[in-house]
Amino acid sequence: MDLSSGVTETSIESKKTVKKKKINKGNLTPYLFILPSLILIIGFLFYPIGTVFYYSLQNYDIAAPFYNGFAGLDNFKTIFTEDKMFLPSLLNSLKWVVSEVGLQLVFGMIVALLLNQTFKLRGLVRAIAFIPWAISGVLASSMWSLIFNEHMGVLNDLLLKLGLVNEPQAFLAGTTTAFTAVILAEMWRGIPFFAITLLASLQSIPTELYEASKVDGASRWKTFIYVILPQLKNTIVLTTLLRVVWEFNNVDLLFNLTGGGPAHSTTTLTMYIADLAVHGSNFGYGSALTVVSFGILLIFAMIYLKLSRYEKE
Amino acid sequence: MYKKKLTTTALALTVASSMFLTACGGSSTEEKASTEKKPAAKTDEPVTLTFWDENAGPARTPVWEEVIKRFEAKYPNITVEYVGIPNASAKSKYDAAIAAEDTPDVGSMQTTWLPEFSIRGALKPLDSYYKKSEVSKKLNEGAINVNKEITQDKKLYGIPYAQNLDALWIRSDWFEQAGVKEPKTWDDFFTDIEKLRDPAQNRYGFTIRGGAGASFTIQRAMFAYSGLDYFDKNGKTNINDPKHVEFVEKYFSYYDKWTPKSDITNGYKEMTAAFDTGVVAMVHHNPGSYGEHSKALPAGTYKMIPLPTTDKGQYVAEGGNAVNLGMFKSTKHPDEAWKFIEFVNSADAQSYWNEQTGQIPTNKDVLDDDWVQNAQHIKVAFEVYNNPKTKIYMPPFYLPDYRSILDTIVDPGVQSVMSGKMTAKEFLDQWAKAIEDSKAKYDKTFSKK
Amino acid sequence: MLFNNKKVDKLLTMYLPITFMLCFTIFPLYWTVNTAFKPEGDIIKRPLQYLPAHPTIDNFVNAWTNIGFATFFKNSAIVGVTAVIVVLVCSTLSGYALARYQFKGKRAFMLMLLCTQFIPRAMMIIPLFIIFKNLGLISSPLSLIITYSAVEIPFTTILMSGFIANVPKELEEAAMIDGCNKLQSLRHVVFPLLLPGIVATGVFTFIYTWNEFLIALMLTNKQDKFTLPVGLSSMMGEFNVNYGALAAGSVIALIPAILLFAYAQKHLVNGMGGAVKG
Repeated sequence: MDLSSGVTETSIESKKTVKKKKINKGNLTPYLFILPSLILIIGFLFYPIGTVFYYSLQNYDIAAPFYNGFAGLDNFKTIFTEDKMFLPSLLNSLKWVVSEVGLQLVFGMIVALLLNQTFKLRGLVRAIAFIPWAISGVLASSMWSLIFNEHMGVLNDLLLKLGLVNEPQAFLAGTTTAFTAVILAEMWRGIPFFAITLLASLQSIPTELYEASKVDGASRWKTFIYVILPQLKNTIVLTTLLRVVWEFNNVDLLFNLTGGGPAHSTTTLTMYIADLAVHGSNFGYGSALTVVSFGILLIFAMIYLKLSRYEKE
Repeated sequence: MYKKKLTTTALALTVASSMFLTACGGSSTEEKASTEKKPAAKTDEPVTLTFWDENAGPARTPVWEEVIKRFEAKYPNITVEYVGIPNASAKSKYDAAIAAEDTPDVGSMQTTWLPEFSIRGALKPLDSYYKKSEVSKKLNEGAINVNKEITQDKKLYGIPYAQNLDALWIRSDWFEQAGVKEPKTWDDFFTDIEKLRDPAQNRYGFTIRGGAGASFTIQRAMFAYSGLDYFDKNGKTNINDPKHVEFVEKYFSYYDKWTPKSDITNGYKEMTAAFDTGVVAMVHHNPGSYGEHSKALPAGTYKMIPLPTTDKGQYVAEGGNAVNLGMFKSTKHPDEAWKFIEFVNSADAQSYWNEQTGQIPTNKDVLDDDWVQNAQHIKVAFEVYNNPKTKIYMPPFYLPDYRSILDTIVDPGVQSVMSGKMTAKEFLDQWAKAIEDSKAKYDKTFSKK
Repeated sequence: MLFNNKKVDKLLTMYLPITFMLCFTIFPLYWTVNTAFKPEGDIIKRPLQYLPAHPTIDNFVNAWTNIGFATFFKNSAIVGVTAVIVVLVCSTLSGYALARYQFKGKRAFMLMLLCTQFIPRAMMIIPLFIIFKNLGLISSPLSLIITYSAVEIPFTTILMSGFIANVPKELEEAAMIDGCNKLQSLRHVVFPLLLPGIVATGVFTFIYTWNEFLIALMLTNKQDKFTLPVGLSSMMGEFNVNYGALAAGSVIALIPAILLFAYAQKHLVNGMGGAVKG
C-alpha cells in the first residue's frame, strides 16, 4: 500500500473533522490496526478463493483425472449457452434470498423493538428469542423434517386436531408448499440475527434522542421512522447486505428438507454448485459457476451500497 | 521421533521388498513364512494405523471399536486409530484427503468409489496380499470379481467385508389380515399395492422413494423386472429398453393414487418412518434397515422378502452392492494394514460386525453361525446371492460421472415423472443418453492409450 | 399512543406480540426436548405423544457415552473460546480503523472483506486442507481456530466498525485531552460504550464456531479432535437414524449457547446504561 499518499488523504480528512491533532499522529496507525485481520484474510481466504478462479478455467474433475486440462472459457460458454439448470436455479436463489432477507428483517426489527421495551422477565424472554440462532444446521433440519412430515409430523397432527385440514398434508411434496415450508424454517432460524444486531444498535442510540421525541409528542410510528430508523440505517444496510450474501450461499435446510426437489423446483444456484462440485466432484465447472455467482453478488453489493448511500447521512 | 520414523520406513521397505520377491517367486514355503510366522516371530516396534469408517454413528461406531479392540489384542504392537465419518459427507472427506494427499492407512469404502479412487492413484492393489491370504478361500468370489472388473486396470483394490441386497420389507400381519399373498412377481407386487390400500386406516400398500437415493431404487427395481444387462452386445445401454419404459411408467403411475403424496421428496429416513409408523405395507430397501424396524415394530409383524422376480422367475441383484476395506498408497505400514484388513474379513470379525449391523457377511464360514440362521432377513439375502440362477448385472461404476448422472439427472428425473412433467420414456432416454455420452468419452480416452 | 387505554395499548403492542413470538420460537424447541426424552420407538409412533409416555434419559446417555460426546464438547469449547478472543481483538482493531480513519485503501479493504463472503465454503475446502497440511496443522484445533477467525473477521469487522462509529467521537476526544493516550482512551472510554457491540460480536463468533460442520469435519482426521457438529451429524446416516440421540445431543449442545445468551442479553442492555453513567 502506498503510504506517502496518505498525507493527501489526511488533509481531506482534516476538512471533515474538527480536531487536527488526532490525524496528525501518523497515518500508519489505521494500517497497523487492520494488519492482523489482513494477515488472516489474505493468508487463509485468498488462496482458496484464488483456486476457485483458477479452476474455473480448467477441466477439473477430481473423479476423472484423465480428462483434466486447460479449458479456457469453455466452462463459461457452457453456463450461458447450454446449461439448462443455470437460469432456473438463479431465479430460485433470487426468490429464496428476497423472501428470506425481507421476512427476517421485518420480523427481526419487530422482535428487536419488542425486546427493547421494559417488561417483566425481559432477560428470560430475550434469551429465548435468541435461541434459534444457536441451533446447528443438523438439528434444524432434522427438527423441521420431523415437524413437516406427512405421516408423523406434529404440524399435521395439530392441524388435524384443530380441524383445519381433513387429511395429512405433504408439505415438502408440492412445488410451492415445499418452498414455503423451508422458508418458514429458515426464517425461524434467521430472525434472531437481525433481532440481536438491531437490538444492540438500538441500545447505542443516545437516550436523549428518545427523550426529545417524547417531548415533541411524536407518535410511535413517527418516532420509529424519523428518529430510530435513521440511527439504524447503517446497521440495516450492512446486515441485510451480509445476510443476502449468506442466504445466497446457505443450503443446509433446503438440502436436508427438499434436496432441491421436487424436480429441481427448490434448487438454488449454490445448491446446484454444491451438487456438481462437492457431490459430483466436477470442480472445474462448479468453480466457473461460483465465479459467475461471485460476479453477480459483487455487482449487487456495489449497486446496493451506492443506492443505500451507506455511511452518508 | 524422527529416528523412529526412519526405522519404521526402513522396516516397511524391507518388508515391502520381501513381499515383492515372494510375489514373483510364488514359492509356497515363503508364503507360509510371510503369512503365518510373522505375527508370532516379529515383536516389532509399535505401529499405529489410521482407519476411516465411512458410515459412523451410534450404532456402528461401537461395533468398529469392538472389532479394533479384538484386533489389537491379537496384535499387541499395532494400534488402530478409528476415525468415524458421517455417511453423508464421507465421499467429500475422502475426495479432499486424496486431493491433498493426506489419506489414512485403511479406509472403509463403497464399491462404487473403488474405480475412481484407484484411477486417482490413491489405493494400493491388494491382489498379491489377497492371493496369499487364508481369507481368499473364504470370501464370496462374486463380490471379489466385481471389485476387480470395475477398475481400469482390473486389479483388486478393496476387500468386501459386507454385502447388501435390495429387498422388500413387508408388514406380514397386514398381509395376513387382508388375505393377500406375498408378492412373487412384479404383477403381484402391483396388485398387492392396490389391495392393501386402506383409506379408513390411512394405510398405503407401498411408498416410493422419490427423494435422495431415488435413482438407486428405481434402477434396481427396473432391472429386477427386466433381468437385462446394463449394456447390450453392441455396447448400447438397456436403460431405455421398452421393458424398462413399461415398468417405470407403471411404477410411477402409482404415485399419489396408491402411494402417499410426500413420496416425491422421500429420502431414507422418511421412507423408513412411513413403514415404521404403520402407514405403508411395503417398502423397497435392504437388510440394513432391520435395526430401525425392530425398534418401532413388534417382532413377527414384519419381515423381509426378496424383490419380485422377472417373468422367468429369476432373482436379479445389482453387482457391487458392498462395502470394502481398501489400503491407501500413502501407508507406511502396508503389512500391518493388510493384517487389519485380513482380520476384519476373518469369520469371527465378519460374523460379529455383520450381526451387529444387519448386513450380509461375505465370508462363507459365517453362514453356519446361529445368528445367521435365526436372522430371517440375512438368510433371505444369503439365499438370493447363493441361488445359482440369480442374475447379477453390472452398472458402469467406472464411468467417472456415473454417480453424478444418478444424482443430477436420474434423481430429479424421477421427480419430474412423478409430478407428470416428463414421461417415463423421455426420462429413460435422457438417462440413457447421459450414460452413453459418458461411456463414449471414457472409451475414447482409454482406447487412445 | 395508539390506544387510549394504557392497558389495552400495552396488551396489543407488547404482550400479545411477545407471546406470539415466544410460541413460534419455542414450539420447535419444545418438540426437540420432547423427542429427546422418548424411547426411539415412540418417536415415530402414532398417535403422537405431546409428552413422552415412557420418559427416558437413554438418549442422553447414548449420545454422551457412545459417540464420545464429552471429548467433542471439550474440543468445541476450546476452538470456540479461542476463536472468539482472536476475532474480538482483530475486529475491534480493524473496525476502529474503519470507523475513525480515512486512509488510502479503505474502500478496497472493505470491498475485500465483502468479497470473502461471496464464495460458498464448500468450494474452499480442498485448498484450505492443502494449506493446513503444509503447515502441519491438520487435526490441530489451531487449523479450525485460524479458519473460523479468518471467515468471521470480515463480518465482525464491519459490525464493530458500525458500533464504534456510533460512539460519539467527542467522548473519546475529551478523554484524550484529559491526558489519556490512544490505548487508554480506548480502554476507559470507548470500551464500556462498546460493550454491547463486543458482546454481540463475541456471541456471533461463538455460535458460528459452535455449529460449523463442514470445515470441522474436513480439517480434522482424528476422532478425538472432532467437534460437536461432526458428532451430531453422524446421528443421521443411511440405516441409522437416531432422532432421539440427535435431539438429546443437540439439547446438550444447546446448553452453553443458552447460557451465553442469558449472559449476553444482560450486557446488551447494561453496556449502554453503565457507559453513560460511568
